Amino acid sequence: MAAKQLSNEIEARIRQLWPRFPEGKAGRALCLPVLYMAQEQFGHVDAEVIDLIAARLELTPAHVTGVSTFYFMINKDRPGRYHLQVCTNIGCQLMGAYDVFDRCKARLGVSNRQTSRDDNVTLTEVECLAACGFGPVAQIAERGKPEIPLYFENLDLKKIDAILDALAEGRVPTELGN
Amino acid sequence: MGWFDVKIISEHFGVPEAKRLEYYESKGGYLNARKATAMAPESIAAEVQASNLRGRGGAGFPTAMKWSFVPKDAETVYLVVNADESEPGTFKDRHILFWNPHALVEGMIIASIALKVRNAYVYIRGEMAREYRVLQAAIDEAYAKGYLGERIFGSGVSLDITVYRGLGAYICGEETALLSSLEGGRGWPRLKPPFPAVKGLWGQPTIVNNVETIANLPWIVEHGGKAFADLGVGRSGGLRIVSVCGHVNKPGVYELPLSITGRQLIDEVCGGVRGGRKVKGVIPGGVSMPVLAADELDVPFEFDALQKDERIREVEVRPGQKFDLGGGRTLRTMAGSGGVVVMDDQTDITKAAWRIVHFFAEESCGQCTPCREGTGWLAAVAHRIAFDHGRAGDVDLLASISDGIAGNTICALGDAAAWPTLAFVTKYRDEFDAKVRTASLHHRSSPHPAPSHAPAAPHDEGGGA
Ligand SMILES: Cc1cc2nc3c(=O)[nH]c(=O)nc-3n(C[C@H](O)[C@H](O)[C@H](O)COP(=O)(O)O)c2cc1C
Ligand code: SF4
Ligand code: FES
Repeated sequence: MAAKQLSNEIEARIRQLWPRFPEGKAGRALCLPVLYMAQEQFGHVDAEVIDLIAARLELTPAHVTGVSTFYFMINKDRPGRYHLQVCTNIGCQLMGAYDVFDRCKARLGVSNRQTSRDDNVTLTEVECLAACGFGPVAQIAERGKPEIPLYFENLDLKKIDAILDALAEGRVPTELGN
Repeated sequence: MGWFDVKIISEHFGVPEAKRLEYYESKGGYLNARKATAMAPESIAAEVQASNLRGRGGAGFPTAMKWSFVPKDAETVYLVVNADESEPGTFKDRHILFWNPHALVEGMIIASIALKVRNAYVYIRGEMAREYRVLQAAIDEAYAKGYLGERIFGSGVSLDITVYRGLGAYICGEETALLSSLEGGRGWPRLKPPFPAVKGLWGQPTIVNNVETIANLPWIVEHGGKAFADLGVGRSGGLRIVSVCGHVNKPGVYELPLSITGRQLIDEVCGGVRGGRKVKGVIPGGVSMPVLAADELDVPFEFDALQKDERIREVEVRPGQKFDLGGGRTLRTMAGSGGVVVMDDQTDITKAAWRIVHFFAEESCGQCTPCREGTGWLAAVAHRIAFDHGRAGDVDLLASISDGIAGNTICALGDAAAWPTLAFVTKYRDEFDAKVRTASLHHRSSPHPAPSHAPAAPHDEGGGA
């Protein structure tokens, strides 16, 4: 397999953002944006990706690793094709989020932060997604489709079943999301 | 007069085109930024001073006063808008970003002129992918029109706005953690002082303001600070955007007078409690804030009233002993982030309390021992109580752990975990005690002893409140 390379898109974005930070500070400041974009490109951030980023931004791999492990949204392991993230925080809990989350676990045969055997869905319990009035809420991301992350609101067992059915068929039910 | 006669930020919420520059300008948008380019920075600051605008991010700090801390001879000043909104129960900034991004951009232009800022940033929560796209599109439109960049509106003022995305860490909403993150590091809070207004981003004076705070500025420039102050109550100017969730018939985001009480908010704005039930408790400003009991809802949801009104009980560390907020001050509650959580009489308060401390334990950055260890311990004990494994003395333990965290940490996340816990125990002591009592009865007759630690995956027992 050919060695990994940051995409042209990332390179263009680095050049565009670089002047927005003061002299000598840009490389470090771009650590988060580049981590995020690299995850979009590769699906997750492993040691090889860390080295690429460190070399490109003139940072130590130790710094980039420290940053990448601090932040929840950076995946160390490759998630399934779909990443289903269910909020169980207070606003959603009050509206039955744990029933929804338990249904996901049962149907996918996984516990929190695990991927279904067919590599299709990774399930993660997440904290408040700032949609608390429309809880329970979930967010779905699709590998290789950065335009996706969609919110699914006012979930109940019927709606989550429909969502899980669609994911099993290989499709994000955008008609149910926003 | 209804509650909805005046609106500052939310008037066009729900109108699909409202996020477009053309629509915004057709309603008078950007006239105030244009006007500000011809104003002296001091006169903008004077209007903000007269407006009694207070920060909408959580602390309610007077905006003009914060701005005045920037050293007068500073060469480089940064403006950073806090769009990290992640305080559970709070979802107002997300609505502003999605429905009225140009009000934020215009407000940032005005603030930047007042503070002599050349480079401004918006730190937006990583999960808000949709809002990021909308905001970036709005900024791109403003650049295309010459409202951002070099010599905006043809004036001598230049301003760049850069949107910076977080990567999923609640603590990055705390202003010093936010700055650590924006510099490209871990989101670790820093000790204050020095305050960011003196020494912030890359060591330079930096003003961090919330999205809603900044989005009020165009109105203040248009109508004058006094008009804004007149809309408010006492030392708090303007209206407030609250987000209401939980057991009400019409949850949502509402821009309301600060004089509205909790009771009016629930009954007159949100259509009452679902199923005609009664209220058990209301969190007035995000889960960091002490809960209000059902008989404490006739106080206006205004910064000073929620802190001082004697109809709200003082939070205790044990029955009869008031919690000391420092300097002999006591704690009732605070307006916080405007995130209102309504819990009806069917709610298991112990489970709600557990979910809240569980959140803080997950989100502690781990820098200080009282917070790192204390929040984890709180979560374990609260879990034990909520899921029927509570032991004698556990309720007092919750309170004493909280008391040990509060005031002893680098940032306010420690207090944010301790205060609501103390309030839950103060106001719903009977429910906590009853849970522990039933647990001990249950386990005396059970052949299986209760586990000595909280299970690794607490929600395996079903976490519904
Ligand atoms: C743990 C913690 C989390 C916070 N999260 C946010 C947040 O998500 N958004 C926000 O505007 N302020 C948040 N704040 C408050 C900020 O530190 C800061 O006071 C605020 O952004 C200042 O803006 P304002 O003066 O306009 O309110 C948080 C504070 C703490 C201690
Ligand atoms: S109080 Fe908690 S979150 Fe804040 S700096 Fe200390 S450990 Fe980190
Ligand atoms: S509590 Fe679930 S979105 Fe806020």
